[in-house]
Amino acid sequence: MRTRALVPVLAVAVLAVIAAGCKRENRYLNDPPPAPPSTFVRVSDLRPGPMVVTDTSTGPFDNNAYGTAEGQQLFEQMNCSGCHSNGGGGMGPALMDDQWIYGSEPDQIFASIAQGRPNGMPAWKNRLTTKQIWELVAYVRSLSSLTPKGARPSREDHMMTKPAPAETPKTKPRNSGPPA
Amino acid sequence: MTLSGETVARESTVLEDVWRDTPGIGGWLTAVDHKTIGKRYLITTFLMFLAGGVEASLMRTQLATPSSSLIGPDRYNQLFTTHGTTMMFLFGVPVMNAMGLYFVPLMVGARTIAFPRLNAFGYWNYIVGVVFLYVSLFVNTAPDAGWFAYVPLSGPAYSPGHRVDVWAQVVTFTEIAALVAAVNIIVTTFKFRSPGMSLNRIPLFVWAQLVVSFMIVFAMPAVATGSTLMLAADRAINTHWFNYTEGGDALLWQHIFWFFGHPEVYIIFLPALGFVTPIVETFCRRRVFGYTALVLANITTAFFAFGLWVHHMFATPIPELGESMFTAASMVIAIPTGVQIFCWIATIWAGRPRLTTAMLFVLGFIFTFVIGGITGVMLASVAFDKQVHDTFFVVAHLHYVLIGGGLTPLFGAFYFWFPKVTGRLMNETLGKLHFWLFLIGVNLTFFPMHLLGFDGMPRRVYTYSADTGWEQLNLIATIGAAIIALSIIVFLVNAVRSWFGGELAGPNPWAASGLEWATPSPPPAFNFLHIPVTTSRHPLWDTSDDLPVVTGLRTDRREVLITTTFDARPDHRHDSPPGSIWPLYLALCMALLFIGSIFSPWFVLGGIGVSLIGLAGWGWSALDGPGRERVDTGDEIVDMA
Repeated sequence: MRTRALVPVLAVAVLAVIAAGCKRENRYLNDPPPAPPSTFVRVSDLRPGPMVVTDTSTGPFDNNAYGTAEGQQLFEQMNCSGCHSNGGGGMGPALMDDQWIYGSEPDQIFASIAQGRPNGMPAWKNRLTTKQIWELVAYVRSLSSLTPKGARPSREDHMMTKPAPAETPKTKPRNSGPPA
Repeated sequence: MTLSGETVARESTVLEDVWRDTPGIGGWLTAVDHKTIGKRYLITTFLMFLAGGVEASLMRTQLATPSSSLIGPDRYNQLFTTHGTTMMFLFGVPVMNAMGLYFVPLMVGARTIAFPRLNAFGYWNYIVGVVFLYVSLFVNTAPDAGWFAYVPLSGPAYSPGHRVDVWAQVVTFTEIAALVAAVNIIVTTFKFRSPGMSLNRIPLFVWAQLVVSFMIVFAMPAVATGSTLMLAADRAINTHWFNYTEGGDALLWQHIFWFFGHPEVYIIFLPALGFVTPIVETFCRRRVFGYTALVLANITTAFFAFGLWVHHMFATPIPELGESMFTAASMVIAIPTGVQIFCWIATIWAGRPRLTTAMLFVLGFIFTFVIGGITGVMLASVAFDKQVHDTFFVVAHLHYVLIGGGLTPLFGAFYFWFPKVTGRLMNETLGKLHFWLFLIGVNLTFFPMHLLGFDGMPRRVYTYSADTGWEQLNLIATIGAAIIALSIIVFLVNAVRSWFGGELAGPNPWAASGLEWATPSPPPAFNFLHIPVTTSRHPLWDTSDDLPVVTGLRTDRREVLITTTFDARPDHRHDSPPGSIWPLYLALCMALLFIGSIFSPWFVLGGIGVSLIGLAGWGWSALDGPGRERVDTGDEIVDMA
């Protein structure tokens, strides 16, 4: 009797694992590209009037291993490392720490990549597709462990200057706002 | 000596009680009889063959027309990888092991296999691998980097997620199963032979199984190291075996893989060559021509098989001197294979062949396999190889070799030994229909692939455009695949019908010469009422009516006779362990360890922890019974004839 009661529980558990696995392993090669953030993206808390909490959401590839890995390739190919140096920062700010000038939410990072930012960050919206920018968003967020562990890249095929994203400890992002 | 029917019945009952697996579900899980395990292996591997065949059919359907959108690129990648992994690791090797595990003890006249519990452990591991791969296929996590999983494609940077992890661990489970089977077959052949079966009287089937078992022992650890230790570790815990910027080496993977991967081909087709000899002998009514040459050719092939793995890697920057060495070795191996083919032709020539289905499959094997062998010699040339590397020519070659050299003799063996396993004969008319459909289908499918390869069609592409001109040949290949599928359906119908309602076979329906035909079909749990004494290579042909037998073994417990390695003189008695649940428990521990290690390295420690309980339980439960007793038989064979 007892074993019989266990069957539906087990079935649900297995289905939940399978559902999670499916999304994480999906290659979406024939899917239509995801839409860009539709609304106005707030990147700072500095505004007149009452405090508005930024809308939190997840990027389309945050929980997708393949999308994150594609973002990792783009990060090398578009020479993001030239300024951000594999996430550790150089001429540009570090991406693997908890400091976010223009916000750590997927929409905010998308806006920063697409629009560009003062002091050197170029605008990529006419160089990359929406899908590619979303892939970069997933990778950038994985650098400070803001995406689920199962989707974050393990060892990269270059010099190991930092722990792999899968091994980076989780940070609590702090929004420091743009420099004065 | 002739025993009265009453005595035989009484002894049979006693032995049956001692040797049979416990009935019921508990007994099903604790079974250790080598015939039970062998039968399970045969059925599971055959289901895997069907699964691999369905994958192949899907791929052929996709390629039948240009720019087809039936299966997307992602699914196609998973399909060809799962097809290759299934056919090589879950069908090719285990089905040959299964034939050995079932028949070697019968052919050497033993009551059971050397390590019955280890045998069960191997099978459970294999099942874990099967379930793991096929569950992953249905949850979109099937491996997609090809069955040889080259780095860096299969590495963490280019194969994110857990797909390649699944491949690496499925390979691990089949490695464990194959190694366990190999050790079992080696010890059974060396120590469990019936008295008088000296090394030069071992049936060629058993020789082939023995040689292949040694190959498994040398080859499997290479891929175990490569996949489980290096690739899985690179992906899970950031090691750098294959990351060249940190001092690793991507080419290292290819060396390690093919050091296993090339012998793997021979691991699949040497046992099949072992099937051919008894079939040819039986249906030509003639002793095989060149027994010694055949044995030596077996050993030579096995030896050279380890010296030609680099011919898979001619497109990598290997020094030219090295390439030449491997070219030479690849051509040399054609010589022992040729020796075997000529020995069989000579046997057929001098005999009076009866064209039964089994014999037809042997003739089909010689025809198909020679084509595959010749394209193999072509591919051994570096200049030619570079031209057709990674094209459909290679696909054609490898299918001719594996289908011609492995699958065709296996079907022959199925028809030949089916009556021994089930007690019933297979239908010959349906069998012949199966043979002709199969032969035509195989050639129609794979011959056009040679031409596609010359035209430059790369392997592993999910589609091609119409202006390449590959349309017609691809369509012909797909029609061929449909004919193969039809032939397999005929075979299935035949097998199922014959199993339940076939003509009763009796102990020796073909009047064959091997010891396995000296016992009823299907064989009783204890294999032989009395252990036979072997006086020649063809015991049932040379001994007029009654086989000489050994007496003196206890019948009231699982006692087996151990003989010396070379001359098979009786040496001592040995207790064979009863059934046990611990092999299954330990296999589940292995599942926890290896599948868990994909997600967290802590599962390795946990898996080892729970395994220790299993090992303790296993050892403890084997302590029952008084252990070994030495018998003082001197050099005399105890002969009751």
